[in-house]
Amino acid sequence: MTLPRTMLEKIWSEHVIVASAHPDLPAQGGKEQRGEDLLAVDLNLLHEGGTFLAFDQLRIEGRKVRSPERNLAITDHYLPSLPRAAGPGSIANPAIRNVVEWLDQHTREFGLPHIGMNDARQGITHVIGPELGLTQPGMLITCCDSHTATQGAMGALAMPIGQSNQERHVLATQTIWQKKPKTMRITIDGALPPHVTAKDVILAIISRIGIGGAIGHAIEYAGSTIRAMSIEARLTICNMSIEAGGRIGMVAPDETTFEYLQGRPYAPRGADWDLAVRHWRTLASDAEAVFDRELSIDASTLAPMVSWGTSPEDSSPITQCVPDPSSAADLERRRRIERALEYMALTPGTPLSSIAVDRVFIGSCTNARIEDLRAAAAVVRGRRSVVPAMVVPGSTGVKGQAEAEGLHRVFEQAGFEWRESSCSMCGGSNGDMLERGQRSASTTNRNFEGRQGPGARTHIMSPAMAAAAAITGRLTDVRTL
Amino acid sequence: MTPFTSLTAIAAPLEIAKIDTGMISPGRFQRIRRRPGHADYADVFLHDLRFDEHDRPRPDFVLNDPAYRGAQILVTGPDFGCGSSRETAAYAVLDYGLRALIGPGFGDIFAGNCMQNGILPVVLPIETVQELWRQLKSAPGSTMTVDLREQTVTAPDRAAHSFEIDPTRRERLLSGLDDVGVTLQHLPQIEAFEREYQRRKPWLPRLS
Repeated sequence: MTLPRTMLEKIWSEHVIVASAHPDLPAQGGKEQRGEDLLAVDLNLLHEGGTFLAFDQLRIEGRKVRSPERNLAITDHYLPSLPRAAGPGSIANPAIRNVVEWLDQHTREFGLPHIGMNDARQGITHVIGPELGLTQPGMLITCCDSHTATQGAMGALAMPIGQSNQERHVLATQTIWQKKPKTMRITIDGALPPHVTAKDVILAIISRIGIGGAIGHAIEYAGSTIRAMSIEARLTICNMSIEAGGRIGMVAPDETTFEYLQGRPYAPRGADWDLAVRHWRTLASDAEAVFDRELSIDASTLAPMVSWGTSPEDSSPITQCVPDPSSAADLERRRRIERALEYMALTPGTPLSSIAVDRVFIGSCTNARIEDLRAAAAVVRGRRSVVPAMVVPGSTGVKGQAEAEGLHRVFEQAGFEWRESSCSMCGGSNGDMLERGQRSASTTNRNFEGRQGPGARTHIMSPAMAAAAAITGRLTDVRTL
Repeated sequence: MTPFTSLTAIAAPLEIAKIDTGMISPGRFQRIRRRPGHADYADVFLHDLRFDEHDRPRPDFVLNDPAYRGAQILVTGPDFGCGSSRETAAYAVLDYGLRALIGPGFGDIFAGNCMQNGILPVVLPIETVQELWRQLKSAPGSTMTVDLREQTVTAPDRAAHSFEIDPTRRERLLSGLDDVGVTLQHLPQIEAFEREYQRRKPWLPRLS
């Protein structure tokens, strides 16, 4: 009889080519093999940000991409969110245009499959992996992006890699040296109260365990709340694993997963489908599997969340006030809150629901899938935004679906801008940024200093909450609208 | 990458502690392309220490002393290469022409990146480093020898100082094997794995 195993252990062991002789030794930042296994990469996704250095290095070394058919390049970070049918040449900023054009050139030179800026399948990498059926249970997926864990929602083992040297290693070998992380199960049970979403769940988790809470651990999200969630919601949860410190986040594949996948462009068909599903059913963690850490959350106690500081862990239920630094548990935490409130220009004790915002952004790999847009549209329908607001769909496919449902009209009639798919104002790589001192309600994943532009102040929240903020011009409990 | 065996070259003293990767390769230079046969990151290296705001060389900065022109060895202060993991820092070191760094300690990730690029970081006690600085300053342009096979640094005064290095890393530098080279030594295993894996999971997506 084999020992009970976690999903991580099952998927990991299926991909080991060379097992470490010394699994207990510490990893050496991916550079040394002590403690690390050599793993096969089923699919490597890459985007334009920073990867030009990987291709330059390959060229200098005279190396090729070993298995182009197991790689996909996607242009997303630097794409204009305004109409762009004219192609890369129409990007006015030469620094941004260069990065887009470099990926075009490199994918041609190295023979890599590429979804470029005017491809009908274009979208944010972590949105279109699942959307195209590329991200399947049990796969080992690498991507040069810290939000790669998103794709773990499909029951895949999806891990972030570095954009230059590590990217080049995967391209040249279709393998990666990794030390197996510890495991952490976060179990969320119970029914979510009305208007409490996946985003609120993950923000509540991060506010509890902190931005470093899961460092060194692969997180498995489990429990009845997760089981009841759609794939879109699970993707939102896994997306922010890195903001909880975990490079890997995953959800066991189930009927919801199989139903989502069936019929998608890259999903298996016919006899392959049956074979695949039979295998996928074996992947969930065994009932008796032991995790290195466990955390339980009662879903019924959760409320819509907003961030007030400069780290995702600085998040509270919208019903609360800006915290008082003097009530912090320790001096270091107190100093950090003081600094965060200074940057955010907030006074302790201010009700969160009284904070006025200058702009609203609905988008990003966290919250720009069709369900997110439906949730936001349901709030704004028949109302008007009192501040500039924009919606940037997570993929061109999502945009088309939303338009087929008439959601773009709902947003436009409410005064929102309806844009093209891009990473856009999440990190501002494409030039979509807040002005210095501006405050946003944003459905993104990071509220770090300067994340949405130098001096920008970001409050992160769910799509429905961001929509509510647009209607009132301040952070708003969507349940009171 | 170029193997590292033994190097005799001009050595320059850099008596500044905690030079981080942001100083070695400032943020605004992160989008410079690299071309085969070019040293595209040469001017990036310690740019703001070497040049003023008008991009003119600062005459009082040690590396701008003509005596150190062509230096391939840099004797650094403590914690050289601490800070962010940016790999362009190693490119800048390499393109500037350095092949060996000697110091009391280096940023961990930076040191790994250096060795990926055939640059040898040598850790010596701070007292030895200070003695090397003294000798180099008293006769600017002196040469030193770094011998990886013998694991010794020979000072301008001909005194030899031995150093420790991880045996795996030493072996790789001597043979010029980078991480991809090491992995491809396992190519038969990788290919055998893939054949069996493909047989078991015929449904996996393939792109074109």
